[in-house]
Amino acid sequence: MRFDLSEDQQEIQRAARDLLGGRATFAQLRTVVAEKDAEPTGMPDLSRTPGEDAALTAELAELGWTGIAIPEEHGGQGLGLVELCAITEELGYAVAAVPYLGTVTAALVVQHEGTEDQRGDWLPHLASGQLRGATTYTGDRVPVPGATDAALLLVGDPHGGPAALYAPGAGIAEDAEAVDPTRGHGRIPIPELDPEEELNPRGEWLGGTPTPSGAGFDRAAVVVAAELVGVVQRALDMTVAYVKERRQFGVPVGSFQAVQHGAAQMLRDVAMARVLTYNAAWTADALSAAEDEGERARLAAELPVAAAMAKAAASDAGRTVTAAAVQLHGGIGFTWEADVHWLLKRAQVDAALLGGAGHHRRRIATRTSSVPVPEPTADEPATD
Amino acid sequence: MDLTFTPEQLAFRDELRAWLAEHGPAGSLGEEPDDEDESWEWRREWQRTLSEGGWAGVHWPKEVGGRGASLTETAIFFEELGRSGSPLPADVLGILLAGPTLMSWGDDAQQERLLPTILSADETWCQGFSEPDAGSDFAAVKTRAVKADPDDPDSDWLITGQKVWTSGAQYAKWCMLVARTGDGRGGQEPGAKKHQGLTYFVLDMEQEEVDVRPLVQITGSPEFNELFLTDARVPQSMVVGGVGNGWKVALTTLMNERAGLAFFLQVRLRQALDRLVAVAQENGSSEDPVISDRLADLHLRTEALRLMAWKGLTAIEQYGQPGPEGSLTKWLWSETNQLLVQLAVDVVGAEALTADSRWGYELLRARGNSIEGGTTEIQKTIIAERVLGLPRAS
Repeated sequence: MRFDLSEDQQEIQRAARDLLGGRATFAQLRTVVAEKDAEPTGMPDLSRTPGEDAALTAELAELGWTGIAIPEEHGGQGLGLVELCAITEELGYAVAAVPYLGTVTAALVVQHEGTEDQRGDWLPHLASGQLRGATTYTGDRVPVPGATDAALLLVGDPHGGPAALYAPGAGIAEDAEAVDPTRGHGRIPIPELDPEEELNPRGEWLGGTPTPSGAGFDRAAVVVAAELVGVVQRALDMTVAYVKERRQFGVPVGSFQAVQHGAAQMLRDVAMARVLTYNAAWTADALSAAEDEGERARLAAELPVAAAMAKAAASDAGRTVTAAAVQLHGGIGFTWEADVHWLLKRAQVDAALLGGAGHHRRRIATRTSSVPVPEPTADEPATD
Repeated sequence: MDLTFTPEQLAFRDELRAWLAEHGPAGSLGEEPDDEDESWEWRREWQRTLSEGGWAGVHWPKEVGGRGASLTETAIFFEELGRSGSPLPADVLGILLAGPTLMSWGDDAQQERLLPTILSADETWCQGFSEPDAGSDFAAVKTRAVKADPDDPDSDWLITGQKVWTSGAQYAKWCMLVARTGDGRGGQEPGAKKHQGLTYFVLDMEQEEVDVRPLVQITGSPEFNELFLTDARVPQSMVVGGVGNGWKVALTTLMNERAGLAFFLQVRLRQALDRLVAVAQENGSSEDPVISDRLADLHLRTEALRLMAWKGLTAIEQYGQPGPEGSLTKWLWSETNQLLVQLAVDVVGAEALTADSRWGYELLRARGNSIEGGTTEIQKTIIAERVLGLPRAS
């Protein structure tokens, strides 16, 4: 029993934080957003996605980050969801302006719900970063990061119905300006997927035929939760640093109990989201590694609840913690000049992406009655 | 990340489970009596049974009758104790607080005299820390200890003052008592260090100078007591950790307070939630979207609590020091339990507001959760100042 990243996992996370600490600063983010908002002059560079840090995107692909959790046979590094979450958390911490989240969630869905052909067709391209992806539920409730017509689009039924895969050029993604001006978003206005109806010519059923979805979308939701954990950790760190410095009435405002207790509440919300997110990631990896039939069945039943708990807690924390960060920064926190608003905006989109807290609590409620409380039984330290 | 147990830990758990099945509530222990005195005797008998089975002091070293269990095994012990529906042993204060404190600070004579009777429950303990004017501000204790003969350093101490929230005092042989021996000025003057001048005593409760009066709670039952001391006598040999060193010794006691218990409480919370979900499904209230949303939230919180407790244990095992989890779990547990019993009123209905019902009792009792063992406000301040490093309030 070790509820902590292993040495190797910590090394991966440290490397990610070091790289992003230098390459994905708020100053860099501002440059990217300013370029996007600038009046167009001359011929626009059509190869670039507005709001995206093209150089960083290319660098992450070269480093193999996009393929970290994709099996080696499909061109990835074959690591687990815990490693993917550790990296994604850092991208959230930096509010990196990269199309990473859409791509890695799309890969998880194809990997765990696609046919052998679908995996072979798409995973190598997603792993190399040459192809972008985007993942969402039907119902068009959220601007979807990475959803452009050039991306591989995965659309699932939020209640476990069938899911569809749309090849690039399907023409279903619409341009959208999200409150989060970074990384690029689009909308996928598909109200529902009817198994009786024909899909778009570029679309196909995930898994070949209309089949219940879940295993891939659950993992995808955990990765979104991990990005939120990074975002809220940054919001907490920035707030703590600020209230130690900012003085009013002759003392640091962080010495006032109202401020202290607000910061303590932030930490608690971060901590809850964090333990539930890494628990879900570990459960997914343990499921992938399990060889015993009974063990597999038990973990397969636990994963949907674990993922729903992670996303519910992270979505709630995303909203409350970033809102508290703005509040505890006071007047400056409400200005464009202070950087907390990037966190608030990223958190707002991620909180709604692949189901908000209410949706996931409904899933918990319908499942917990039949799912036993998780309890460690195996002794295989397989996915350290 | 590895959320599995080793084969050794699984063997420990299975051995314990088998033992609890035979000796616990489903086995020879039977049901807890309603009467307070009988309930105490029942739990004392339970502790003796645990002790005879070698389970009373799992985290105690083998030399003093314990099992020498690791932190993880200790956590497993408390989880399984809760899971089996077994009560805590009667003298949880002696086992979790007094014993470990004496092992850290007591001299040989004190350890030889006091430790052997703890696990067997032959002598039980109470805790004399809080006072009417020293609750969260524990260093402000006013209870005073003076030498019976000021000229003789070996003479007895005479202790006078009032202590409060002393559960089990009516049954206890010994009291972990903190009193003021030096100036410290009680914190009256600005700049005075009021935690100086405190001394940690082991007080013999069997003397006329100690008056124990029941303190009735909002539930109507006297789970706690008040302690009135008038020249209560403590020999010099029962000073623990030296005169004037009481603050440090008391911190050892307080740091031990939550170890292990978090796992027990978390399992109990889970069981209460399972009962509530069963009622909600039976009477159809789980169909109500608001109630099902709240139940799901409680499920999520209870799981977070379990995982946080394990994460805290990992921090101690890997890095040798506890993370913020102690204060976080205390806060999260008390709030979640309060939300649970409050939701129960909406789920269970009239019975939950009926006097002498189980849910009715829990509804009232839970209000104490965010006060006892360090109020939620104190937990938040600890998190802010010691974990987040915010400047202390002036």
